[in-house]
Amino acid sequence: MWIVEYRELIRILTISDLKVKYQGSALGFAWSLLNPLLMMLVLYAVFSNVFRFEQENFALYLLIGIVSWRFLQIGTTTAMTAIAGKPSLVTKVCIPRQVLVLSSVLSGFISSILEFSVLIPLLIFFGVKFSFSIAFFPLIHATYFLLVYGIGLILAALYVYYRDLNQIWDVLLQAGFFLSPVVYPISIVPEKYLGYYMLNPMTIIMEMYRESLLYSKAPSGAEVALSLAAGFGLLLAGTFVFKRLERRFAEEI
Amino acid sequence: MSLSKFARLSNANFWQNSGSGSIGGGLGVDDSADAGKAISVSCLSKRFRIPHERKTTFYDHLVGIFKGGSYTYEEFWALKEVSFSVKRGETFGVIGPNGGGKSTILKALAGVLYPDGGSIRIEGKIAPFLELGVGFQPDLTAKENVYLYGAVMGLSRKEIDERYEEILNFAELKRFENMKLKNLSSGMYVKLAFSTAIQTDPDILLVDEVLSVGDESFQKKCAQKIDEIRRAGKTIVFVSHALGTVKDLCERCMLLSEGQVVSIGETEQVVEEYNQMAVCAEKR
Repeated sequence: MWIVEYRELIRILTISDLKVKYQGSALGFAWSLLNPLLMMLVLYAVFSNVFRFEQENFALYLLIGIVSWRFLQIGTTTAMTAIAGKPSLVTKVCIPRQVLVLSSVLSGFISSILEFSVLIPLLIFFGVKFSFSIAFFPLIHATYFLLVYGIGLILAALYVYYRDLNQIWDVLLQAGFFLSPVVYPISIVPEKYLGYYMLNPMTIIMEMYRESLLYSKAPSGAEVALSLAAGFGLLLAGTFVFKRLERRFAEEI
Repeated sequence: MSLSKFARLSNANFWQNSGSGSIGGGLGVDDSADAGKAISVSCLSKRFRIPHERKTTFYDHLVGIFKGGSYTYEEFWALKEVSFSVKRGETFGVIGPNGGGKSTILKALAGVLYPDGGSIRIEGKIAPFLELGVGFQPDLTAKENVYLYGAVMGLSRKEIDERYEEILNFAELKRFENMKLKNLSSGMYVKLAFSTAIQTDPDILLVDEVLSVGDESFQKKCAQKIDEIRRAGKTIVFVSHALGTVKDLCERCMLLSEGQVVSIGETEQVVEEYNQMAVCAEKR
């Protein structure tokens, strides 16, 4: 299995990704935590004054939405350039190329865990009582990781051939942001669209995060099953696409 | 599928752990190759597509469709049914004019390029020195880069730990270990890469004209090291334009021109043939 054999390379690439990310600015790591907090302030100001939603603990609802969305956004955009951005590792040496995608998604995953762990004191500050349901967090996060990694594989492989994919993906992400319950409660979605709306795996994953962290509820079996299916489905699709397109990577880069 | 199998091979722990496997276009894998062969290649072909109009974005493709899409491209066979084998412990030279397919062969052997036809069998761990310093990151320190490069070459953390001192001593860069790579000179850069690469203990070395690195004393050290490796019974595939070096190092040689094998045999003969070919080309 390539993951085991190249674990050292995966570890080093992940850590160096994180280092580059956090050493770049003076505030470094603090920025990556301040960023979602400030974003939440802006959105909270807008959504609590302009649009009024009846949602328990709306500030925290928003914050969990934003922090979880950030993993998809950052994870997929960095994964997209993982292959094309490291041409020498593709054309000059034979390593399993998934290593590059995996390590960039992993660094996003670790950032995301750090961001979530800053959320915990905030939740306590706002008077949320934790229950056993927080035990579901690792499962949810791992499922989410599979989903992001699967999408990352597809994007990274396609980006080698289509260099304007990042433009398209930015637009799709923006659409996804508003098609997922990041900044509004699901209750505002019109009844007739709700069936389609719930097909979005991000909806299910965000609901699970909120149930587990905010509302002290265990995710339902259906939610767990659907999100796992989406995660493994995308992982398989991603691996398939990647394997097919990988053959000509060295020629196209 | 075949690539991951190959990767497993190339990462086998040292030479006592050599296995066998094949990479190839899924065409027949012949198990009749005898045990003394480190590399056997049969009917290897590689085709490159040269599009008449290069399209690298969705936008280009869209525009192409509206214009009445022209998806035509020329085919260019960089390798045409190349077959050869290299015995274990042999130093095998590949020579030929530019564009003859030498580098393509090395890349196919290294598993970087996917063959369009034929098969490649490799016995043992292969070290692709297609270029030195692959994956080096200028923003990391020399020390961090040694660990990174070692990992790229498939070494585990423990193995790099054990060899770290030796690597820095060989590169004569002990003083600079905590300096960022971008602040080192390009000579130091290559020294560091060579010293690390040499520590991977491969069974088969693929060398693509990388020996002319660093200053003169370091070049000598490199040549000695390569010679040491050769005497330790390792297989070396050596691609070069320097016919003198090829004559010194290689027992057997292959002459490639326009993707096809012109001749394989004793180095003296093949080099002679290459010289004649060059003379003929000049006359014309």
